[in-house]
Amino acid sequence: MSEPLILGIETSCDETAVGIVRGRTLLANVIASSVEEHARFGGVVPEIASRAHLEAMQPTIKKALRDANVSLKDIDAIAVTAGPGLVGALLVGVGSAAGLAIGLDKPIYAVNHLAAHVSVDYLTHDQSLEPTIALLVSGGHSSLLQVNDITSSIVKLGQTIDDAAGEAFDKIARIMKLGFPGGPAIDAMAKEGSASAIDFPRGLTTSNDWQTRPYDFSFSGLKTAVARYLESTPDYVRADVAASFQESIVDVLMLKTIAACKASGIDSLVIAGGVAANSRLRAVAQARCEKAGIHLRIPSPALCTDNGAMVASLGALMASAGRTPSPVAFDAQSSLPVTTVSLT
Amino acid sequence: MTITLAIDTSTSRTCVAVIKGGEILWSAHRDGATEHGPALPSLVQEGVKGLVIDEVVVGMGPGPFTGLRVGIAFAQSFALAREISVRGVCSLDAIAAQVSDKDFIVTVDARRKEVYWARYKDGIRVGEPAVSFPADVQAQGVIIHADLYPEMNALVALTGNISEPIYLRRPDAVATADRS
Repeated sequence: MSEPLILGIETSCDETAVGIVRGRTLLANVIASSVEEHARFGGVVPEIASRAHLEAMQPTIKKALRDANVSLKDIDAIAVTAGPGLVGALLVGVGSAAGLAIGLDKPIYAVNHLAAHVSVDYLTHDQSLEPTIALLVSGGHSSLLQVNDITSSIVKLGQTIDDAAGEAFDKIARIMKLGFPGGPAIDAMAKEGSASAIDFPRGLTTSNDWQTRPYDFSFSGLKTAVARYLESTPDYVRADVAASFQESIVDVLMLKTIAACKASGIDSLVIAGGVAANSRLRAVAQARCEKAGIHLRIPSPALCTDNGAMVASLGALMASAGRTPSPVAFDAQSSLPVTTVSLT
Repeated sequence: MTITLAIDTSTSRTCVAVIKGGEILWSAHRDGATEHGPALPSLVQEGVKGLVIDEVVVGMGPGPFTGLRVGIAFAQSFALAREISVRGVCSLDAIAAQVSDKDFIVTVDARRKEVYWARYKDGIRVGEPAVSFPADVQAQGVIIHADLYPEMNALVALTGNISEPIYLRRPDAVATADRS
């Protein structure tokens, strides 16, 4: 069978994204972001995001087709993020994808956003992933997964019990008046500071935590600790706070991830999601994986943040694996569990 | 003769029809204020089976946003896939078309204890659609039709082309600078 040509649509948060892949080859990855419209609100406003999705959808699909130099008639199947995410935002993508699929009379794959984040690695590495541990870190999610088969079998090892890692970056950036989104701003500022200047707490790393919930994360205590530090230290050095805060997050993410690799005996790790674009996380992950003999893969920063190529990639993997497409009538699911790779 | 796919998701009812020269070839609907996502694709799939569709007409509201957008997003993408035109019209006008009163108001639930509404005289809409409290609409002193759904033949018969959804409300959000 020739490699399937898949168009993928992603609208789970504030990115209207359309990607086109042929098998494992990326042909187009177009992203229209409404992030600037949200900046003055200090976070993503669901209704603003949903309106922007509808406005951007048709131009984004057309641009992706131009970039890939293919016609809609050539597309073998449509893939779309069915969840998790903002339900009003998801439904714009789901409605658009269903319109394309029925208009073209082609199958549709309604896939999981988190699984798609992991699957994007297939576009840059030939080697098969599975089994692998996956650390998924973004503004909405922080999960540690064991991926046995990216198209059908994902086990959740742990997740954040409060804020997502990216959310912690946003909140601290807001307190420090660094703007939204906070990740890139803190990453840049941290380069000028000392990561060991302030000893911020590492969430859920007591010996009891390692016994009872070794792979869960907590970042709200860290956020409080940073806020208190800023209040009680009028002459604080911003770059040191940024670097030390970032170090706490990166340290605890990698401690638990490496522990999961060791405990499961799986020597392969994929880090994905928007926070995987963080330069310190990439550097620490590289160093610690080398030391532990773990084969590390992190997609390029452009493929780490939300994009349509990852959705198309998962759709292509599902089509190649002969997985049954989704029924044409399905609903967006704001809290779709990662164990549900696609809706059937 | 032109075969038109008509879609409206501006009310709690997902309405789909296939219309040829003013004659309804097929029509169906499904009720449920949060059902538009799954309802619309299955209705359309059934309705267009074996047909060559020439154009799409879609209700642009006003109506609750999330459901409204499902219909518009679907209609635009279906038209793109079939390489046909898509035209947006005012959903309230397609509701009003089935009323024969001389002077009346049509309302649709806008949630938050408000309604979307427009007034019609001699079959023609007076002014732009608006969103108000029911008491303010009643104060106009004309007959109010509150329980009707768009009539799909009338939807297709409407002229003009509205390219943006009729939202009538701004998104709820307070800028960080304005927070107390």
